[in-house]
Amino acid sequence: MAVRYISAFVLAVALIVVAPAADADSHLDKSQAFIRDLADRAVENLTNKEFTTEEQRLKFQELFREGFAVDGIARFVAGRYWRRASKSEREEYLVLFEDVVVNIWSDRLFSQYNGQQFDILGARDDTPANSQELVAVVESRIQTTPHTSVKVEWRVASLGELTKIVDVKVEGRSLAKTQQDEFTGFASKNGRRFSAIIEELRRRRDG
Amino acid sequence: MLKTVTGLKSSRVFLAVVLASILTACATPPADDPDARAEYEAANDPFETANRFVFSANVMVDQLALQPAAVTYRDLFPDALKPPVQNLITNLFQPISFLNALLQGDLERADKAAARFFTAIPTLLLGDTMPDEDPVIEDAGQTLAVWGFSEGPYIMLPLLGPSSMRDTIGLVGDFFMDPVGLTMGSEASIGRSAGNAVVIRSRNIEQVRELQRTSLDYYSAVRSLYRQQREAQILNGEGQPTQPAPTIGLESPGDADTPENRETASGN
Repeated sequence: MAVRYISAFVLAVALIVVAPAADADSHLDKSQAFIRDLADRAVENLTNKEFTTEEQRLKFQELFREGFAVDGIARFVAGRYWRRASKSEREEYLVLFEDVVVNIWSDRLFSQYNGQQFDILGARDDTPANSQELVAVVESRIQTTPHTSVKVEWRVASLGELTKIVDVKVEGRSLAKTQQDEFTGFASKNGRRFSAIIEELRRRRDG
Repeated sequence: MLKTVTGLKSSRVFLAVVLASILTACATPPADDPDARAEYEAANDPFETANRFVFSANVMVDQLALQPAAVTYRDLFPDALKPPVQNLITNLFQPISFLNALLQGDLERADKAAARFFTAIPTLLLGDTMPDEDPVIEDAGQTLAVWGFSEGPYIMLPLLGPSSMRDTIGLVGDFFMDPVGLTMGSEASIGRSAGNAVVIRSRNIEQVRELQRTSLDYYSAVRSLYRQQREAQILNGEGQPTQPAPTIGLESPGDADTPENRETASGN
């Protein structure tokens, strides 16, 4: 009898321990497959001779909008200004972010990647405590020249069926953090106003 | 001789002007607004006005000298000779990296730097392959960080670019203990650093152009990139602590961005 209880206990503990691990593993696999798919499609566009450079850039932007968590990134980049922003400011900022900053990010990645060899090295779990989202960091290496390569880490978040890239680190430097510091620096120079960022983004979109 | 003395005098005058401008341009922290104060402390850039001035001059030097040299190297220098040049430069950084790794108590990396120095010599001549993809590069700024010194305020150095108080002290330390400089003269160490600057710049011509073109504030972007790069170098690319990062949706736990707050914001 005691043995049966012990076996049941061991089985229960094993299930508790194994189940999240299996979940985490599948999440890492899913994130790697997600990056692989996006990279394959990017290469397909970039190596298609029928497209002009401008067409390739636009295709790259489309892919970017599909793969990246644009709203979440926009909110993060606004930093502490987000809390103080009014509802209308937030709404306009999100639209402008999508129109202007997504293209900036896309162009920055586009300027780094021209269809070179892209190897996925693996993925590690980086889910923060108390987070509803599962987060994986997919490590990759891009061979920029025959003798030099760049380490690129893709931060991929999953929430239910939704999987999106929330940040990219090139050689340890985060695009989101850099953009956040840049926006804060710009607002700081302009009277610490969130509206200054909105005005500048509007000027860039319309100009 | 006269030329050298004049050069020394003018460099002293230049240094005095830079120091005076730094001291007079030192910003004071805002006392009344907690948000503004938090921003000031996060930027950790009390010399910002002077730093921005030096940064503008550095950007000009980059456009006039470094970038053209980098483009020339990238486009006109024979591809076959690039790996040996890169090998030579990386190899000349190994003795100082070895010393710094030792000072950091990192025997594994010290060993790797020493091994790289000796095993790379044949490839300097053959030049076709890189001995390793991720060579050890350790400087005294990283050593001071490992010893527990905080980075101190951000400093934009004339010609040398972004730095911090800690890294500037590290630069001076490296200058005096660099085996290459001590055995081959300071010209060799300056030549190595200049060569390295051209090679590194040649790899990111488009990226820098894109950053300059698209940045809302290029100075802040460079400051941020410098700090992130140094952090990655100090940790040797490993074990970076989890930092705040974007989430999929607009809700961000831990940033007090609750629906209640949003209601408050919308009421403003």
